[in-house]
Amino acid sequence: MKISMRAARLTRGTVVAAVAGVVLGSALFGTAASAASAKVPKSGVETPSGGTVTETGSTLMYPLFNLWSGGYNGKYSSTTIQTAGTGSGTGISEAENGTIEIGASDAYLSPSVTQANPDLKNIPLAISAQVAAYNVPGVTAHLKLSGKLLSQIYQGQVTKWNASQIASANPGVTLPNIPIVTLHRSDSSGDTFLWTSYLSKADASGWGAKIGFNTTVPWPAAPGALGENGNSGMVSGCKATPGCIAYVGISYLTQLLQGGMGYAALGNAKGQYVAPTTQTIASEAAGFVKKTPANGTISLIYGNINNGYPIVNYEYGIVSTHQSSSTTAKNIRSVLEWASNPKDGGSSQYLSQVNFQPLPPKVQAQSLKQILSIT
Amino acid sequence: MTTADGVAGSIPVTPRAESVGKPKLPRRIRDFARRNEEHAWRGTAWVAVVLPLAALVFAVSVLAVKAWPAIRVNGWYFLYGRNWTYGSGYGTVVHTGGVAHPMGSQFGAWAIIWGTLASSIIAIVIALPLSIGAAFALTERMPTWISRPLGFTIEILAGIPSVVIGLWGILTFGPWLANHVYPVIADHMPDVPVLRYFRNPVGGGEGLLSAGIVLALMIVPIIASTTRDLFMQVPPLPKEGASALGMTDWEVANKVTLPWVRSGIIGATVLGLGRALGETIAIAMIGGASLQIPHTVYLPFTTVAATILSQLDGALTDGTGFAVATLAELALVLAVISVAVNLIARLIVNRTGRVGAPVGGA
Amino acid sequence: MTTLAAGPATRRRRASSTVWRVLTYLALILIMAPAAWLLIGVLARAWSHWQWSVLWTTLTPTGGGLRDQILGTLILMVGVFIIAGTVGVMAGIHLAEMARPNKRSGRLSGPLRTASDILSGFPSIVLGYVGYTALVVGLHWGFSLAAALIILSIMVIPYIAKTTENSLRQVPTGYREGAEALGMSMGYSLRKVVLKSALPGIVTGLLLALAIACGETAPLIYTANFAPTLPHSLTHASFPYLTYVVFQYYNAPQANYHALSYDAALILVVIVLLLLVSSRIIVARTQRHAESARGAGGGRRRRRGGGAEDEPLLGITGAPPR
Repeated sequence: MKISMRAARLTRGTVVAAVAGVVLGSALFGTAASAASAKVPKSGVETPSGGTVTETGSTLMYPLFNLWSGGYNGKYSSTTIQTAGTGSGTGISEAENGTIEIGASDAYLSPSVTQANPDLKNIPLAISAQVAAYNVPGVTAHLKLSGKLLSQIYQGQVTKWNASQIASANPGVTLPNIPIVTLHRSDSSGDTFLWTSYLSKADASGWGAKIGFNTTVPWPAAPGALGENGNSGMVSGCKATPGCIAYVGISYLTQLLQGGMGYAALGNAKGQYVAPTTQTIASEAAGFVKKTPANGTISLIYGNINNGYPIVNYEYGIVSTHQSSSTTAKNIRSVLEWASNPKDGGSSQYLSQVNFQPLPPKVQAQSLKQILSIT
Repeated sequence: MTTADGVAGSIPVTPRAESVGKPKLPRRIRDFARRNEEHAWRGTAWVAVVLPLAALVFAVSVLAVKAWPAIRVNGWYFLYGRNWTYGSGYGTVVHTGGVAHPMGSQFGAWAIIWGTLASSIIAIVIALPLSIGAAFALTERMPTWISRPLGFTIEILAGIPSVVIGLWGILTFGPWLANHVYPVIADHMPDVPVLRYFRNPVGGGEGLLSAGIVLALMIVPIIASTTRDLFMQVPPLPKEGASALGMTDWEVANKVTLPWVRSGIIGATVLGLGRALGETIAIAMIGGASLQIPHTVYLPFTTVAATILSQLDGALTDGTGFAVATLAELALVLAVISVAVNLIARLIVNRTGRVGAPVGGA
Repeated sequence: MTTLAAGPATRRRRASSTVWRVLTYLALILIMAPAAWLLIGVLARAWSHWQWSVLWTTLTPTGGGLRDQILGTLILMVGVFIIAGTVGVMAGIHLAEMARPNKRSGRLSGPLRTASDILSGFPSIVLGYVGYTALVVGLHWGFSLAAALIILSIMVIPYIAKTTENSLRQVPTGYREGAEALGMSMGYSLRKVVLKSALPGIVTGLLLALAIACGETAPLIYTANFAPTLPHSLTHASFPYLTYVVFQYYNAPQANYHALSYDAALILVVIVLLLLVSSRIIVARTQRHAESARGAGGGRRRRRGGGAEDEPLLGITGAPPR
């Protein structure tokens, strides 16, 4: 059952704005409303036609979209971005359905989705990362945990914090004799996608063969394993459960540290234990720039990169290139251009607050091309 | 009643009450309205009363149509299998029986269905004795100035939204249970067949028992209010007669009151059960969201309703649409269970009628 | 003054009866204590950070107030009142007044009533899913107030029909017979006589249906989604309401949202309290009138059929699962 795009909202403002937009558009830019690509002014960001742009999806990206919403509305008071943090799966689903305009997702679209919806695109907007957080009383250092060890923990094969596998990798750290409680996401989550991609690549014969990666996976029966809703749920759940280990997006690092939790230095493909810093994340991302295709679909996880943090990803805006009205399309383009522009949304003013990195110039140019194809 | 022209001494004329002073519609319209008013009432009422049935049939058909591909592929495994996996969403798409789905996807919902049944049963086991006891306490020998406000509090409890109860459960009640109640129970449990499930580990408060207790709190008002009404309707004569014969309060309750209202209580219990089966939000908040059957009664679990709520959103990430169809199948299973429970309740209540058993009857 | 001492059997029986009474009071306490804890907890959490500005400030990405969410919940209640109220009352009228036993409508009324009861116990998430599939996606309305109103109304109609039918059944047949004897048409007697007498019970049922509707979350998530501000159209625009705030904001990344979550919980409890108190007042008022007008016969009938003072309680028993 093919779901077609939603009809335009016929508020008076939108109608007037649409007429004005068409007139203005054809006068200033000389393009017809149904052209395949639009032209961008020197500032890099088109002026929106006014209205609301709805966004939902990744909770990893939610804090950033909130910041962007304020910044964007400050510059273009005619247009507001309505944000929500509901999980990457929802972002993809609702963008597919057409009930939302921009879906935020940490995961790129699966082949089955692109096959069913050829108009749907995943457009990289920023670079983010994911940490392995834990609540182990008395441990403040960055524990060294390899992907294989984490796979064993999440499969319930390693059940105590002072197990020999953890202790041998972390000499000199006093680990308490408490059970490990694994936390996972109960909603359809891009963070799950990233985490399970890491586990699948690091433990190809174990996790990769048995469970694989997806936005929802059949979590093995680890003792006391808890499901939480959203990144916030992971943070609050881990805070309330001594002995917990959870995968959390890096935009929640402040909350993690405030809650007294620590995060791990993860093992990368070169066997090094790397903590997530601006440097290590940037190294990992840089290693994939050449390989990033024009449609942005690539995993940046577990690259064979010296001193690269292993769980790094592009944050995607999931948008349909075929919008119901040119005003909606213009608003969406404007928002996305502003967001990915290194001078606006992509500046450190916003990104540093959530520990994200800006897109490398080549990838940003590719994103801009995808954005311009939205009509 | 006024006189026609207000002059004293004239014969008073009493016009029809409704036509005094009000502007009148033309006679033809008034006649048309008077003749057809009954038809209008009957017609509208007929449409209105058919609407619930139409909505029910529509809902079940929508579910059945959406779930059909999944029903064909999942088969009976859906009801007894315990493996719930979407398959390799980023892998290849395969076709089984003409239906496209991701490779490796397999949907066995037994653990989820078990969760619904287990939490509802725990809720009933806790709520039923509490409700009956409280109803007795409220109706026997309690002055109205206490029983009225307490009865009202129970009504308020019935009206509180499930989200609010869920919020209290996860922020206050769950942690309190996990820190103060469960360890006390778990540390003293012997390793015997049934009690084994009450041993450690105790978890963090989000789990089967916490959800069961919170559910019980939600259905107690239903059972307690109905039971209280039923107790008040028991004629006083048999009770007073039994008391006069020397029966104690407990014996009067056991031999006179309870048999009288037995079918009503069963009906109310099954209605409470229906509510517990469909409860979504509170379980989503306090259940812990684990797709396995928990080893102890304190550990996380999930129910059909909570699973639909949390997974429906992202189900479309499976581009083949199979995940959506499976969730529709899950919803259909829940709908069937709920309808069955409802029908059983009506059968039990209707069979024994409204009058209770005679005194002395079993 | 008795001179016979109680024998051992009697002492045992009396002891067990005392134990029984203690247990019943214990049961009552075990219900009241969590209920009180819950209500006080909601109040305390909200009150510690309460600002009256929550009631008239709009929601922003980092904080703000709940103005549009409160308005949204109220609008939903008004919409349900109109739609479900009309349909439900008409359905109740049919079941009580118009089903003629030996004609087709009479034989159908049993199954229709059964269907209505089944619908009242139907899981709300399933109805939400049906609404999503049929209205939001199927009819291309998108997340909208229209879809939410329809689904909420469907949920609540059987409940209103049942309470309306019960209230109408309590109107003494003498009223109807008298009206017919006076030559009133069916519609006239319905309007001026029967419905007027049953009005308190009907209104009580409506108020309780509103209490149910304002506390729903699951079906609204899938039909109305959520929005920070009130939209301008019935379709294609997500709609704000309070229960989502309670559900999602208590552990949101924005710290200010936690307080909003507790505030929303408090506001919801206050709304429900107001509705319940209103229905109690209406019932108490009309009971005073009824007792003076009807006398002993009507009183006994009232008792047996589930009296007006029992209406709210009976009504609650049919509340749909949330």
